[in-house]
Amino acid sequence: MKVIEITDVYKIYNSSEIKVNAVNGVSLDFEEAEFAAIVGPSGSGKTTLLNLLGGLDLPTSGKILIDGTDLSLLKSSQLIDFRMRNIGFVFQAYNLIPVLTARENIEFIMNLQKMSKASREERSFELLKAVGLDDRAGSRPSKLSGGQQQRIAVARALASKPRFVLADEPTANLDSKSASTLLEIMEKLNHEEKITFIFSTHDPRVVKMAHRIITLEDGKVVSDVRTE
Amino acid sequence: MIPEIAWKNVWRNKSRSLIVITAVTIGVFAGVFTIAVMNSSVVQRIDAAVNEELSHIQVNNKEFRSSSDIKSLIPAYDKVVAEMMKAPGMQDLTGRIIIRGIASTAGRSTGVEINGINAAKEKQIFTLHEKLIPGTGDFLDTETKYNKAFIGEKLARELNIIRYSITEESLKKLKDEKLPGEISTKLIALKGERFTSDKKFSRAVEAVLLPGEYRKYIYLIKEAAWSYRPGSKIILSFIDINNNQTEAAFRVSGIFRTNNDMFEAMSVFVPEEELRQLTGIPENSYHRVIGRLKDNSLSEAASAYLKKELPGYEVMQWKEIQPDLAMLADMMQQIYGIFMGIILAALSFGIVNTMLMSVLERTREIGMLSAIGMNRNRIFSMIMLESVFLSLTGGLSGMLVSGIVIAATSKNGINLVQYSEGLEAFGYSAYLFPTIDAPFFIMTTILIVFTGILSSVYPARKALKLNPIEALRKE
Ligand SMILES: Nc1ncnc2c1ncn2[C@@H]1O[C@H](COP(=O)(O)OP(=O)(O)OP(=O)(O)O)[C@@H](O)[C@H]1O
Ligand SMILES: [Mg+2]
Repeated sequence: MKVIEITDVYKIYNSSEIKVNAVNGVSLDFEEAEFAAIVGPSGSGKTTLLNLLGGLDLPTSGKILIDGTDLSLLKSSQLIDFRMRNIGFVFQAYNLIPVLTARENIEFIMNLQKMSKASREERSFELLKAVGLDDRAGSRPSKLSGGQQQRIAVARALASKPRFVLADEPTANLDSKSASTLLEIMEKLNHEEKITFIFSTHDPRVVKMAHRIITLEDGKVVSDVRTE
Repeated sequence: MIPEIAWKNVWRNKSRSLIVITAVTIGVFAGVFTIAVMNSSVVQRIDAAVNEELSHIQVNNKEFRSSSDIKSLIPAYDKVVAEMMKAPGMQDLTGRIIIRGIASTAGRSTGVEINGINAAKEKQIFTLHEKLIPGTGDFLDTETKYNKAFIGEKLARELNIIRYSITEESLKKLKDEKLPGEISTKLIALKGERFTSDKKFSRAVEAVLLPGEYRKYIYLIKEAAWSYRPGSKIILSFIDINNNQTEAAFRVSGIFRTNNDMFEAMSVFVPEEELRQLTGIPENSYHRVIGRLKDNSLSEAASAYLKKELPGYEVMQWKEIQPDLAMLADMMQQIYGIFMGIILAALSFGIVNTMLMSVLERTREIGMLSAIGMNRNRIFSMIMLESVFLSLTGGLSGMLVSGIVIAATSKNGINLVQYSEGLEAFGYSAYLFPTIDAPFFIMTTILIVFTGILSSVYPARKALKLNPIEALRKE
């Protein structure tokens, strides 16, 4: 079953003088439980593509279907709600709410979805264990290392069991050891929870762990290989 | 959960929030306390006027005030009394005979208003009897074979009934009042001399003290050197009901002290019967009937009722008798308005400025929140709540501090005795008892809450305008 289906998507930035085709006619499908990396040189359109997939931005033209829903047909308030229910996000930095503890951050979206306290706690505990930080549940983000913060961000992204998780260079600010720990955790969760992960990266060691590698150049897909 | 996050966000930048909250607290306190102090003098002035001089309602013969003719008596006194008792909130009333005259002692004379009163009844309506200076006698209470008069301190001074002298006794009094020893030593030079007027005594003291000492202690020294011989005699002269010039000796039965020099200098109170005998005004005839209501707030209704029911008379409530007092009260209202306006505007600017700073600092975080599912309403309410918490914490603590300080100072008052002579000349007390009425206090609190909410709108809207992707892209 296809989780994401995009057809002939363009994103053109028309800022003042220059016209930039940040995403230039991309068609892609993602299945359930995929573990895909998007790679390519700087400026090739990775972030732009992820933003389109996540409904943070709308394409200039083309169709984006998530579980059969056309994102361009949603009103902005519906879109936010849709994002909250179906898509998990992990950014390079500033993922967590500084005034909340690790556990509260993980429970934040479940809280917005008005899940019961019991199920929230059960789920956050399970995820804290999965990312290996159950002993840091009560710490605020500022008391955690960059790698630990990103692991909490992954747990937060997964908390309400979204259809897929988008991560734009989640390891960019991490040393190689933390980066591989994070990737291992992501891979394990991808396997256990059957949730699709799509992440962009520059790091060759991270790329190696992906099951599918999509290469962008100048906004176009130049290769798309499955490594399993 | 949003309120919880908002509250925590307020305390993220502790020092900044504390500075804003402290500033708001100080601003609100300064404003409210200043108003309470200003209000104090006005409330005291009005209370004193109503309780000592005017009462709530007066009914006169229509001609009386313009002609001040002794013959302008109230016809059908009983009917007027019966009608007045029916007025809403009427508690008690009394009649007065009021004639113009001259008060004199050897070598001194001054124009006065002679009030023939029923002393027992007056005590029910006015508090003037409580203003008797201790040791000067009583409020026309003791039966004597002489005519009696109750007069103000100012008049007593003008008639030279009050003397000043530095005696062993007054020096001892000054020592108890903690007058520095070296000043007492200087005053010994004046010992044994009797000064017949305020002015002469002041000049003598001024001559022996340094200017600074004089300004600081003259009030204290005058109080201690003050002396009066009970039963001093004054002559009152006036025209009687048959147009004959009449003159009679009165013994001063007591001296009162109020905060209104004009009233003190002008008013002489004598028993009604004595004045009737001297003027020939018949029994049951008065120039004025004075009514006291259960509450000042009923004045409007009672006067409206009586104006309708007693068309042939002049019905006046205290505000009409002394329109300057009513104007004063109105002016105070306007000053409060301006004052609070300025304070609330400052509060609002402080909050808006701080919150804008805080929102702009958190651009990325707010972008992230909206990416992961905080909708516009939630972001708006989060920022709004932060502003509201900030202004409420400051505003309410300001109100709390004001409440406490006002409660503390209103009990013992703020002493302005040093400047008291200037103030009393205008009818203001030398002690300020900061007061604020409950409606004003509640209204101000509501306005602060409202201003807090209003000031939160702009920063919250600003937060909504942030574009999440732009925000997240920013490095
Ligand atoms: N808001 C914008 N306005 C104009 N041009 C933009 C905007 N956002 C991105 N671009 C342009 O679109 C192109 C793709 O940018 P994008 O950020 O998607 O690349 P990227 O592959 O993520 O690069 P990096 O690896 O450096 O993160 C770039 O040429 C960039 O300059
Ligand atoms: Mg990028």
